[in-house]
Amino acid sequence: MLVLENISKAFGPVQALNNISLAIAPGCVQGILGENGAGKTTLMNILFGLIRPDRGQIRLNGQVVAVRSPRVAQKIGIGMVHQHFKLAPALSVTENLALAVGRNFGLLHRAVFRQRITALANRLHWAVNPDSLVGDLNVGQQQRVEIIKALLGGGKILILDEPTAVLTPQEVDELIPAVRSLAEAGITVIFISHKLSEVTRLCDRIAVLRRGEMVFAGPTGELSSGEIAQRMLGTQSAVPTLGASSAAPGPIRLLLSRVCCPVPGRHGVKPLLDNIDLSVRAGEIVGIAGVEGNGQTSLMDAILGSLPIRSGVIMLNGRDLRHEAHFRRARQFACIPEDRQGQGLVLSLSLTANLMLRSYRNPEFSRFGLRRVQAWRAQAAELIRSFDIRCAGVDVPIQALSGGNQQKALIARELCGHPPVILAVNPTRGLDIGATAFVLQQLAAARRRGGAILLIHSDLDELLSLSDRVMVMYAGQLFPTHWPAVDRAVIGRMMMGVAPQAA
Amino acid sequence: MDSSVPPPVLNSPPSKARRYGAQRGVKVFLLWLSVALGAVALSVLLVLAILALAGYPALGILHRWIIGAAGNRFNCAASVADACPLLLTGLAAGVAFRSGVLNIGAQGQFLLGALAGVALTTRFILPGPPWLVMAVAIAAASVAGGLWAVLASVLERYRGVPIVLSTILLNFVALYLVRAALHGPLQAADTSAPQSPQLKVIYWLPILIRNTDFHLGIPLAFAVALALALVLGRTNFGFELLITGLNPRVANLVGVPVARRQLAIMFLSGCCAGLGGAVQVLGVTHFMLGNFGNYGYTGIAVALLGRLNPIGIAVAAVFFGMLDTGSRFVEESSLALPHQMANVVKGVIILAMLVASAWMMRRSRSPVPETSENPTSRDPQQVES
Repeated sequence: MLVLENISKAFGPVQALNNISLAIAPGCVQGILGENGAGKTTLMNILFGLIRPDRGQIRLNGQVVAVRSPRVAQKIGIGMVHQHFKLAPALSVTENLALAVGRNFGLLHRAVFRQRITALANRLHWAVNPDSLVGDLNVGQQQRVEIIKALLGGGKILILDEPTAVLTPQEVDELIPAVRSLAEAGITVIFISHKLSEVTRLCDRIAVLRRGEMVFAGPTGELSSGEIAQRMLGTQSAVPTLGASSAAPGPIRLLLSRVCCPVPGRHGVKPLLDNIDLSVRAGEIVGIAGVEGNGQTSLMDAILGSLPIRSGVIMLNGRDLRHEAHFRRARQFACIPEDRQGQGLVLSLSLTANLMLRSYRNPEFSRFGLRRVQAWRAQAAELIRSFDIRCAGVDVPIQALSGGNQQKALIARELCGHPPVILAVNPTRGLDIGATAFVLQQLAAARRRGGAILLIHSDLDELLSLSDRVMVMYAGQLFPTHWPAVDRAVIGRMMMGVAPQAA
Repeated sequence: MDSSVPPPVLNSPPSKARRYGAQRGVKVFLLWLSVALGAVALSVLLVLAILALAGYPALGILHRWIIGAAGNRFNCAASVADACPLLLTGLAAGVAFRSGVLNIGAQGQFLLGALAGVALTTRFILPGPPWLVMAVAIAAASVAGGLWAVLASVLERYRGVPIVLSTILLNFVALYLVRAALHGPLQAADTSAPQSPQLKVIYWLPILIRNTDFHLGIPLAFAVALALALVLGRTNFGFELLITGLNPRVANLVGVPVARRQLAIMFLSGCCAGLGGAVQVLGVTHFMLGNFGNYGYTGIAVALLGRLNPIGIAVAAVFFGMLDTGSRFVEESSLALPHQMANVVKGVIILAMLVASAWMMRRSRSPVPETSENPTSRDPQQVES
């Protein structure tokens, strides 16, 4: 029995958690729901010893435990899988796990670990190759490694911090029975999410947090989905309403024809680009569905020019891009990258600087190569207002903003100049319902203005709701679909590699 | 959000924001200052203890040291003269590091600059008035240092040699190149040592304050620091360098020509170091030895202590200069502190400062808790309503 008693925590003036109490029985799957910034992650970081609470205590089987550090947490059997993975990409799966879990006087028992990993992976019905390099794995596979890592140390309590944010619907469907089998083995699973449907499908009990307060705790069936959503959000409306594009699509903006990419590196396991044909017209959104790691990243890199292509043509507005310098190419696309913190923002710089990363060259914002600081500030204030970025001022470092507001800032920067071609990868990943709706609405608005949008998205429902045409990427190949004339399940099957004609 | 909120003054968000930024800047600066002063105080106490334990008159040495560093006009000038080459090599390392280019080769670039400077003022004097000869020598020295640095960039671009490696190795190449030149074409006639002839007095950089070491190169070096501060802080070029240094992936995404900028910064970095070499020859030593100091390596410590900021580097360089000048004064005084002991003292103080500086850097980089629920964060919204 794990009991949290009266946990409170404040960060400066922000009361992140206020008097939270929760009891979790062994073998129970406890869902914790809440919007971004509701305090879910803070609560779990306290349980895992990363943050100390201002008040309150944790009891495990009746005894008060002082979880001073993650090491202590692991010792008493608490394992955690974070939203951002903590793995060394240059090492193999076995080595990562051996380093994290069991060191015997500095020796790594690779053989033993390989066995334990394989055994555990089989139990969960996961295909994990203990010898592949973590850097070669896609996000979904890396998450599995993280879960195995948390369990290998003999953990009895497993915290999953938004585990499905990075998974495809099919992978989520696979994760759910795996989590259930963990629970049957007596392991307590704490499942953090802001996706209602997953939590109601998976969890025995749920707790709902809103702005640091516990607004509901009890068995899953007690409230209807609508009631839960209302408690989570307060009065905010949930699902965005997006009109499909009304105007007929314009001329072709982006065209890829028979694009192939060479094998990268000696660990040639990453899917390549295999004869890609793709066109995006002005005023339409072309959605690319697919399980992560099937070549989506390579496709982006090829379009942006950081991945050299072996054959084929990439045209932008009828101009061949192949011989253009990489930086000139990058300037012609608006891009919402997959890894917003690593590739989209400079975390240590201010919000203003991050907002100006695209437009600082414009004569409006620079004169004779000198920065016009006042114009920068005015523009930043304007974007903060029009994109509803919640922040303490234009000079705060962007890392002080919540994930949703960071993404809003990124989108404000990329979309404010009404770019003709927009590349977006998982633009709502890890965002709460409100921010997700905002992002989708912004993309729809960009389409209305005549933008040509290539949307690569692992959330199939959002992708289908937004896209005019849908293609499926599998093993480096791109298959057209007849969406919206075909069923969602057909697209799901194509994502798993069932040939389109058979599907 | 709430329509009952009265419409606030339109100007409030920017002014609030400005106040926030200013407050934060002042706070960070005060914190940094107090940490720096604390580090100096602590290390001085430590040094006094070491000296006392070793049987030296600790307080007397401290007193002499301070007088030697800044006790009078002459000593002050000597301190900034000592700071001058360190400032330029510090800038060389600082601008490169800030842009994510690990140029460890300021030493080699400094030596090449010094070599070019001495060559163009002793053996290969161009026809023209002395000021022109000096200007050409200094400019050529900068370019020599810059090209020596660019050599490392070329090796990286076309042969995949990491800059951190090639610059270190090129330091040795530069050192032996200099020795070869000083044994060969540039050797003084009256010696068998690797040593250049002395510059004619007309080619010495003019002394600006009579009876001191304050030569023209000193204000030049500080002007370079100021210019770099402006370029890095106020121009698009500087902004691009900053992004490139902090996150090259973002720079690529938004279309900064990363490779070109890194090449430019390598040249600029080498120019600073080369200029340092020339200024040292023309302003201070007036000839060149095979062993011409470790200014390039010390410059790395200066750059780190100055937190890679040109103004900070200038302060750090003056601090280093004062330590050097003070130690010479103590060694030459009646207290007769051995040279090695003086070096121990310098080492301890610099180490303490670097530890404090690194601690500050980590602190300023530590993650800030999310403020999405911060009451003050509602302001922009209220304005909208």
